[in-house]
This record gives sequence, structure tokens and C-alpha cells, in this order.
Amino acid sequence: MEDISLQSRIDVLTEQQVLIQDSAVAFIAQDEELKKTRESRFVQPGYDQQTWQEMAELGWLGFLIPEQYGGIGLGFDDLHPVLIQLGKGLLPAPFVATAVVAASVLVNCDNEAIKKDRLPALVSGAWKPALAWQETQGQMSVEAEQLRIVDGKLSGKKAFVPDAGGADDFIVSAGGDKGTELYLVNKGATGLTIDYEQRIDGGFYARLSFDQVDVGELLAGTDRAEQVLESALDEGRVAASVELLGVMTRSLEITVDYLNQRVQFDKPIGSFQAIQHKTVDLFILSEISRSVVLQTIALLDGDASAHDRAVGASQVKARCGDAALQITKSAIQLHGGIGYTDEANIGLYLKKAMYLASWLGNATAHRARYAELTL
Amino acid sequence: MTEETTNQYNAMDDDEFRAMVHTFYVENYPQELRFSPHRMHWDEIGDWYLTLSKQGWLTPAWPAEYGGMGLDANKLLIFMDVGESYGVGRTPDMGITMVGPLLIQHGSQQQKDHYLPKILAGEYIWCQGYSEPGAGSDLASLQTSAVRDGDHYVVNGHKTWTTLAMDANMIFMLVRTNKEGKKQEGITFLLVPLDTPGITVRPIINLGMHDEFAEVFFDDVKVPVANVVGGENKGWTIAKALLGHERIFIGSPKFAILAMSRLKSMAKSVGLFDDPIFVERYTRLQLDIEDLFATYKRFVEVLKRGGNIGPEVSMLKIWNTETQQRVTELMMEAASEHGGIQGGIETEEGLVRAAGEFIGSRPSTIYGGSNEVQRNILAKAVLRLPG
Repeated sequence: MEDISLQSRIDVLTEQQVLIQDSAVAFIAQDEELKKTRESRFVQPGYDQQTWQEMAELGWLGFLIPEQYGGIGLGFDDLHPVLIQLGKGLLPAPFVATAVVAASVLVNCDNEAIKKDRLPALVSGAWKPALAWQETQGQMSVEAEQLRIVDGKLSGKKAFVPDAGGADDFIVSAGGDKGTELYLVNKGATGLTIDYEQRIDGGFYARLSFDQVDVGELLAGTDRAEQVLESALDEGRVAASVELLGVMTRSLEITVDYLNQRVQFDKPIGSFQAIQHKTVDLFILSEISRSVVLQTIALLDGDASAHDRAVGASQVKARCGDAALQITKSAIQLHGGIGYTDEANIGLYLKKAMYLASWLGNATAHRARYAELTL
Repeated sequence: MTEETTNQYNAMDDDEFRAMVHTFYVENYPQELRFSPHRMHWDEIGDWYLTLSKQGWLTPAWPAEYGGMGLDANKLLIFMDVGESYGVGRTPDMGITMVGPLLIQHGSQQQKDHYLPKILAGEYIWCQGYSEPGAGSDLASLQTSAVRDGDHYVVNGHKTWTTLAMDANMIFMLVRTNKEGKKQEGITFLLVPLDTPGITVRPIINLGMHDEFAEVFFDDVKVPVANVVGGENKGWTIAKALLGHERIFIGSPKFAILAMSRLKSMAKSVGLFDDPIFVERYTRLQLDIEDLFATYKRFVEVLKRGGNIGPEVSMLKIWNTETQQRVTELMMEAASEHGGIQGGIETEEGLVRAAGEFIGSRPSTIYGGSNEVQRNILAKAVLRLPG
């Protein structure tokens, strides 16, 4: 399939980025037909453990983790070609949730013993944490309200924890007398109940119910917990946006390919101006998204303030969330009847966009956050 | 401007550079010309052109060796942003944004030596003779003819939509030098002094009730052969290169930023920021502009690396002009009854004419190649969809 993005026309990748991109392209090409993606739909844990192990062997799980904890210590500029390919290949793996969001919390937390013990295991693929911070739908504040700490025990609920089925431990935010704290809680802890909900893309969200659960290991106290969380979530928003960029780029490629193949009225339907103009508008959206993605990863890799990172994260998530939905839903329309079948892969892109666009705040929520931070 | 000054500007801290530019505007730009609702004529804004010329700030994007500021992409955006925020008006700038860059790329040494200093000094003010009554979107079908007669061409025909022709003393134009074969291959790029006998300029009143553009008639006009740029019948290639310059200029976020700053002034003064529905719509547009900014920077970086921008630049034109229109549409709607008056709403930053802004943003999706034509270009040249 032809690369129609402007990346090859106008952007410059470093030698290292090209190497990383090539290996990611090759990795995704193993399942071009999306067979594995389909097989893991609605089957716990929603992804293939062997694929996860292969990603560990490629070093991807340690990209953002400093060398002293067994990682490679690279930045988002080097990670982004991987994230784009994960989106293009609809890879069913909790990469962003685990190797970006949870990893970020751990790297920035204050528990040195846990960092030394667990981060190398995360990098090797042997251990997976899942972050349970959210309590209500549409929540943007990182303050823990429902999950309370009383006498060293956790009671309350967490919601929308992605890909918890394959996780070993939970990073949990909880509210005490003085504010929010972060703990590492074992998945098998007494009093912890997990309910799963199928996501539209075939993965799972979990709801966690805590009934007098032992707090486990303290990761960050009230002085830093919210700041560590906010930063991790913003990195997750950016990473999810890059993955969305991959989703929209690929669905556009598939669609353009289809417009060249599909013949009606004795012509390829891509020759009709109504179709061309609609497709051009989708292309523009994808490139606007790419520009913001490139700008935002440079922001994250630089020394921007937490405020500026938050503004950038909301800007990119608002754009990529909206653009991915617009592009994937239009892709269905441009495919006609076949686009509405489960058999055609294009629908899988729409569903991935629906999940990623709504996770960690949808476009409306991020525009509101952007307005709050900038007006 | 010397290489040294250029390096000094580009090495400046962003905030320091911003402050320097802002201070200059505050001290030198006429207060009464801030946020002009219409494109100003030479008798209004000519002095400002000359002020910029004296300061060496007329041509921020030209390389230093040709007398430009030679700003890098980042500084160029700051320069533009400060000007827009302060409401600095646009000069008759065709020489600065189009002819200069074109001659730097395609002109002969003699042409560069002759024309560039005169553009910088404000001696030559330019207008563009492309469109004709019968050649709009289908520009290559233009009929204005230039027939060779010794050292001269004799030009006959009729150009239209010629912006600020009444203020210009030079026109750069496309003429037909060959009626045989492919229509693109019989076009020549010509530089013509407007005081040449046989040229008549007739102003056209636009929807903004302003004589911003004009028709230009050519009746047996003699033009020296030396005034051709790029060779006889090679004009189409040059014109396309120039349209590239124009599109990156039209694609620059400045017009959308300007419209947004007007909307903001109005919103503050009317108390619209207390309305959550308005805030959502405003933020959506603010992000459209921020994201355009990110895209524009990405394109400008290509130029700064010495690369070429191809047909993909059309996306900038589409996004910028349609964003600008969305801003003025919200402005008109949020102004309620003021959206239907000739005048405007008094704000701390001066009068905001919502209806005037709305009207004023209409032609941007038409000129410089209509947005429909831009979409055709992207579909064929970038997405490579079938014809």
C-alpha cells in the first residue's frame, strides 16, 4: 500500500529514527491481514502475550525508561515511529497504558527499591503494571475522591482501567486525610474484586472494587502523587495521539487504495470529484494532526513546564481524537456497503479510533481543559 | 541588512526578539491605522512601507545577501505574530512577497540588480496581472497576447482582479506568446511599468464597498524583451513557482490570527467568555489556528532547509482560509444585531466590525486559486487519485 503521508515528502527523520521505523514496519508487516488482531478480540486479556514478549525483545518496552533501571532512556522523538506503526497495524497490546503511562509513574515515583526491582522486569516483559487512577466517566482531575485510605486500608472503586487482565499489579491513586497518594497493589490482594467490560475495539476495561485492601507499597506521597500522575497521563495522551495518527494514516491509505480499485459507472470511484474533495479533506486532517504530533513530541522531549506540557497534550489529543474519528467514519462511508461489514478491516480502524479517542479524555474534554489552561 | 545583523536576530532570545519588534511597532506604526478593516492604499500605508524600508525590516523572509532580514522560521513566525497582534496593516506587498522571491530564484543577475533594490526602496510597487475575464480557475487559458516586434513585445488584452493596481507602478503578468500547441507552453512571464502608454486601470468596487482591486486594459503596449523572466514560453513554470510562494503566504496563519484577535476583543467587551457554548466554539477555532501554526512551521522548515515545497502547500491555503472564515462567521453570529451593520462594536482595542470582517474574509477561498481547485490539485498530485 502506498504511503500518501507527507512524512516522506517534507519531514526529516534521523538515522536512528529511520532504523526504529524500519523495525516497527517489519514487525507490523507480520500480521498485515490483522489475523492476530481479530483472534484476540473479546478474548482475555485482549492481546497476545507472545507479541508482548517480542516487543520486549525489540527493546520497545524500555524506550522511555532510564538505563539505570534497565531501559534505553530515549525520548518520544525516537518512540513515535513505533507508536505510529502500532496504530497502523492495530496492534492489540497495552503498549501506551503499560510502557508509557504506568512506566512514567514508576520512573517518576519516590520508591527507589520498587523502581530497581520492577522497572527491569517491565522492560523484559516479565511484569506488567496497570494504572488505576480514574473513578468517574469523563474525569480529568487526578485527585482521588472515591477510593479512600482509612487506617492503612483501601476502600472504594476505580474504573476504566485498560487491559487489566494481563496485568500483575495495579498502581492505584487513593485519597487520605491530606490528599492523593499512589500505591502499588498486588492484583491478588485480599478484598480486591475485578470486573471486566468489553471495549468496542475488542480489548477490555476493568472496574476495581476495593474492600479493606492492604495499601501495599507507597510510590508517592501527597506532596508529589498528583504531579506524577498528571505528567504520566499527559504523556499517555500524547502517545495515544501518536497511535491515533497511525490509525488515521492507515485507514486513509486503505481507503485511497479502495477508491482506485472500486469501479462504478465504468470508472474508478476515486475519479469522481465529490469523492476526491472529501478524501482531500480527510488527508488534510491527517497532516494537520501529524504537524501537531511532531510539535508536541518535541515539547515533551524538551524542558517545557508542566503547564505547557498539559496544554500541548490537550491540544494534540483534541486534534487527533477528532481527526481519527472523522477519518475512520468517513472511510466507512467511502467504502460503501462493504465498509459496514465486520469482514472488512476498515471497520476495525473506526473501532480503534473510538477507543483511543475517548480514553484519557475525548476531544471535547481536552478542548475544555485547553480553554481552562489558556483563557 | 548584513549577515551579521541577521545572525544577531536569529540568535536572539525569543522573548527579547518579540519585545524588540513590539517596541518598534509601538513607537513607529500610526495608531489610527491599527486593525484597518480594509486593505489600505499607498496614500494611507505608503509611509509605513518606507519606515520599514529604512529600518531594514521590509523583507523579513528574504536572505540577507539580497537585503532581507533572513529570519529563520521561528523568528519569522514571531515577527508575523507580533505584527498581527498589534494590528499592523498590510502594505502593497506584492514586490516583497512575490516578485522578490521569484527574481531571487529565477531572475537574471541584471534583473536582480535592477529590481530588488527598487523594491526595497519603495520605488517599485507591484501588482499581479494573472486572471482575465475568461481565465480564472483555468488560468492557462489566458488570452492577453504579446507579439514580438524587434526588441519589443506588443501587448494587447485585459487583466482583472488586479489587487491595488491603482497604487502600483509595476505589473508582473502572464501573456500569451504562442497560440499553437499546449496552452501552458505558450505563456511568458513579463514585467511591465504601468506608466507605459496604452495601459488603463479601472477600479472595481468589492463587497466591502472598497476599491481594492481593478481591471487593467492593454492596448498596443510596447514592452522591452529584456523584461521577460525565465525565457519566452517558459512563463507557466515560473507562474506555478510563484503561486507556490503565494500559497505559502496565503497559508501563513496571519490572517486567521488577525481575525481571532478581533474576535477576542469583541468577546471580552461583550462578555462572551461567560458563555460556555461560546467558549467551546472559540477554543475549537483557537486550536484550528494553533494547529495551522504547527503545520505552517513544518512547511517553513522545509524552505529553511533549502528544500522545495510541492503541491502539498495547497493544504495550507485551504486550512488557513477556511479557518479565517469560520472565525469571522462566529464573530458575525456572536455580534447579534451588530452582525448586520456597516459599523462595529466599540472595544478596548478599537472598533470591531463583525459584518465587515465577515465580508472581508469571503474572497480568500476564491483568490490564489479557488479552494476547489486546490482540492483538485491535492487529489491528483498528492493522493494520486485517478483522473
